[in-house]
Amino acid sequence: MSALILISVLGVLVLYLGLFAKKSWLAPVGILGLLGAIALFYTGWHINHPLLGGMVVFDRFSIGFNIGMAIITVLIFLFGPDYYARKEHHVAEQYALMLFALVGGFILTSYSSLLMLFLGIEILSIPLYILAGAKKHSLRSNEASFKYFLLGAFSTAFLLMGIALLYGITGSFHLDALAAHMTQSGGSDLMLNFGLFFVVTGLAFKVGAVPFHFWVPDVYQGSPTLVMTFMATVVKMAGFAAFFRFIDMTGMPDALARIMVLLTIATLLVGNVIALKQTNFKRLMAYSSVSHSGFLLLALLSDHGLEAGHGMAVGHTLLYYTFTYSLATIGLLILFTIAKRANNGAEHNNIFQGLFAAKPWLALCALAMFLSLAGIPLTAGFVAKYQVFLLAIGAGWLKVMLFGVLMALLGIYYYIMVVREVFVRPAHTVTFVVSPLNWLVISLCAVGVLVLGVWPALI
Amino acid sequence: MEHVMTAIRVVPLDSYLVLSFLLFSIGMVGALVRRNVIIVIMCLELMLNSVNLLLVAFSAYHSDPGAQIMVFFIMLVAAAEVTVGLSILVLMKRNTDSVDMNILNRLKW
Repeated sequence: MSALILISVLGVLVLYLGLFAKKSWLAPVGILGLLGAIALFYTGWHINHPLLGGMVVFDRFSIGFNIGMAIITVLIFLFGPDYYARKEHHVAEQYALMLFALVGGFILTSYSSLLMLFLGIEILSIPLYILAGAKKHSLRSNEASFKYFLLGAFSTAFLLMGIALLYGITGSFHLDALAAHMTQSGGSDLMLNFGLFFVVTGLAFKVGAVPFHFWVPDVYQGSPTLVMTFMATVVKMAGFAAFFRFIDMTGMPDALARIMVLLTIATLLVGNVIALKQTNFKRLMAYSSVSHSGFLLLALLSDHGLEAGHGMAVGHTLLYYTFTYSLATIGLLILFTIAKRANNGAEHNNIFQGLFAAKPWLALCALAMFLSLAGIPLTAGFVAKYQVFLLAIGAGWLKVMLFGVLMALLGIYYYIMVVREVFVRPAHTVTFVVSPLNWLVISLCAVGVLVLGVWPALI
Repeated sequence: MEHVMTAIRVVPLDSYLVLSFLLFSIGMVGALVRRNVIIVIMCLELMLNSVNLLLVAFSAYHSDPGAQIMVFFIMLVAAAEVTVGLSILVLMKRNTDSVDMNILNRLKW
């Protein structure tokens, strides 16, 4: 709870620093505050009691996710000074909005009342609508921002309708009341199923599951790269944490399980197949994000058929998967920014050409991160996928699991296509300019992915 | 306060359900088919307000004030959301000089 307050105040402080034009202070102050928040969460590890009248509870699951999201935000902030080096105005606002969105993420991982779920999603989303449109004079950025706003508001309406219906049945917003009603009625009520369906639709929009994924590539492509990094990592972690809390509490009745199977299969199929023909790197990463959502949904699906209390294994896998996915994504998107600058703003996959000849270490880092996203053994991505498949078998979703394996194999293809570009010699010489801080973050991400792949027990 | 609750309970709950689903559907269809962005935002508001109506009806039937607090939160958040949305719209209007949905077709797969 004190970490929530710390981050909110930190956002305001960063805004004030921007007022006094201390641009070089913004990222260090933000990082210091985030490290403080991590320390606060860490010391609160054993405190497990509900707060705010039982509307939020910081249990181990949520603290694990919160520390993960804070670490990812620190890495993004380390990328900030270089990304905003040539920008003079409104830099402080962007850092502050990211911090405010992070507060929403913290609420999403720890809610135990549907009211807080709604507030968390809105606190997370509203700053992102603004951030997506941060490049005020770029039409693509405007469009991404407006699309995100329209679809975000649309999905919120669905979520609210679901919450209202669930309230109508149980007479309370609390998740425990919902869980008690589910065990009592067996989940065969029409209104109850409608309510669950609407809430799941709203959450599926947020995590970018097919058929509610169509905004993902457009918004990711149009947003500034730093904002896209934030959306692909922190927002995804928060979205899946919220999804898991909801699914785990309802215990997933059969009607809901059928919908989740359809969502999982569609997400895996569409994400991987459409990614095959992407030539714009940002769109490729967007579809890769959709396909990773598919694997994460498969992990969520495994919550069905597990006995109560085994849900923690699913939660742990989700944390491991999203955290390692986020590490690889951050490193690759920083490399993308470097390569984009070297190629005069082009975004095609082939901008990575010549990276190995110019910067061998960074090329090897890129290799490690791509292989992790693809799920090749010895990287964290492999362990994450392996754990998901194991969970799915344990829950009895053998056919869905086999489909997932097939799609994982398909996914290797498009990552390898980009990796190939890294080692190709370019037709003309390209100079990559890498700032020391960026070099550090990329190395951290790549080493982190490898270390976590060899010792998964670290998380 | 109590007589308001009794007044709400004069109408059966099913009628509230049907009405708010109807409003929700009108809002949803409008948001999907209308081409003018401002009307789309109005339709989104209609969807949120149909939820408010349903929550108030449930609140009266459960004799529980929790949902009325929720209604205030929804109104607050909807206002914040529309503030952001309209400012983004103003930005787009400045750059493209149009409020038609067709301005949203530069990014394609």
